[in-house]
Amino acid sequence: MTALTTGRKRIRYDVHGPADGPAYVLVNGLTQYIELWNPYRESLAAKGFRVVTFDMLGQGVSEKPTLHISQDEQVEVLGELIADLGRAPVFLSGISFGGVIALRYAIAHSDKLAGLAPISAFAEISPQLFLLGSAMRTGLTLGGTSYLMDLLFPMNLSNEWLGPAIPLLEAAKRRGWLLNDVYALQNLMESFLDFEPLTPQLGSISVPTMILNGEFDFLTPRPLQESMRAHIPDSELVIVPRCYHAFTLEKPALTAYLLARFAEDVMAGRWKGKGSVWIGPEEPGGEFTLFPEGYDHMRAIPVRRPEPATP
Amino acid sequence: MNPFLGPLDADGRVPASQQTRVAAFLMSAHGALARQLMTALPGRLREGWQVELHIQYCRELELLTLLAGATTWVPDPALPFQFWHWELAWMPQPAEGAQDGRQGRLIDLAAFGHALHAVIRPAALLPENAPPMEPFAVALRRIEFEAGRLMQAHILFLKGPQFESARDVVSAAVEKRHAQVRELWNDMLAGIDVDTSTRHVGDTAYHSVATAAQQGR
Repeated sequence: MTALTTGRKRIRYDVHGPADGPAYVLVNGLTQYIELWNPYRESLAAKGFRVVTFDMLGQGVSEKPTLHISQDEQVEVLGELIADLGRAPVFLSGISFGGVIALRYAIAHSDKLAGLAPISAFAEISPQLFLLGSAMRTGLTLGGTSYLMDLLFPMNLSNEWLGPAIPLLEAAKRRGWLLNDVYALQNLMESFLDFEPLTPQLGSISVPTMILNGEFDFLTPRPLQESMRAHIPDSELVIVPRCYHAFTLEKPALTAYLLARFAEDVMAGRWKGKGSVWIGPEEPGGEFTLFPEGYDHMRAIPVRRPEPATP
Repeated sequence: MNPFLGPLDADGRVPASQQTRVAAFLMSAHGALARQLMTALPGRLREGWQVELHIQYCRELELLTLLAGATTWVPDPALPFQFWHWELAWMPQPAEGAQDGRQGRLIDLAAFGHALHAVIRPAALLPENAPPMEPFAVALRRIEFEAGRLMQAHILFLKGPQFESARDVVSAAVEKRHAQVRELWNDMLAGIDVDTSTRHVGDTAYHSVATAAQQGR
């Protein structure tokens, strides 16, 4: 693990994989830390990628500003990290909060990227997300990090994962609790208090963009993903079957496969974004299926899209 | 160095020497904050923030009596010197660049409270196998739990509109107090053979679950 000092800030980061390979930079979600990307380090490095992970400002072992953390500072730190990677292609992905930081970076610096993969991210805050976020912040301040994580587990993970994992949840929670401080998490959450929608700026993202959305994600559901698909020019939306919000944790092998395949397609010139909507595979190595023609991907039941009005 | 207190004795208790040093540090710091809050409190509470201050003062007293009663105390020859070293550090340090002396003292008081409740994580010192109802462990957990709530008054005050134009002054004061509290806390822990900087090393429980799920598939 290495420390990077950027401006007055210090972050912990890790680089793994061939030094001359294309880079994959992965950005944490709220309460997350480098070690949660360990499975990605191995599987993406095995495919020739140089994997870069780091603790966001305010999280893990990185510096935790005491009173204020702006999202611009997070983008600045990410920029410093990417600037250090040299000339190889850089693919950028981030989950949830990390996806927002990745979007912000891509809006300002598309020229530095070869591809973008926001996972369970959002470019605007819907009333539901605002209220859920407010409830999580209240939970954090009144009940502490453990209580916040109690709220996040059922939002983030499926019953299939949670059921057998229940005996291990306390251990998972303890690590997150040890590494995260209430004031720092609160600062991160409060960096959304003056959040302005990024949607009007998404048009300036000029790189291929694969938007990953868990089929059952109710924290950042399909409409939030759809607004990114509709506004990012060279994008595709991939619905990941049976997944909730934090499928990077639940299905690391599958997610690493999706990320690697996206980057390989882009580098091989096979990428065809064009705003298309796909259903992702359920297992690593599986195929993508185009969302059925004529059906509305915004619905949870099979409903035909209305026919365009004829003049 | 161990990332946690211990090793625990046969009854699951933190060694008395560690209890004594940790409790003395916490009582010194929270006692200083309680005294400063008491000095800042007017006889009659006329403003909302004064009510918050009063609540804080009472909670700090509660933490002090809790620690006094829940700790297994043993003689610690190094304590008198350490105690005075800590006490000197907690002395008011009016924020530099504040409008006037009163504002400078208030910013420092809130910055000290913020640092104390934000930086010090006493419950995070407990090893995973610390018994849930052992009195010292319960006290540490309680102090950390209350800290998250008590800090809210400091955050509201320090981030309030009254300091909008003095944001740099406030931030500098809070950073300074954080650095001071962190240094003294880590020094105290080093003195009892505890170093919390390696707590993050190793695989996480998420990986165990993911691996188990893959193997069971």
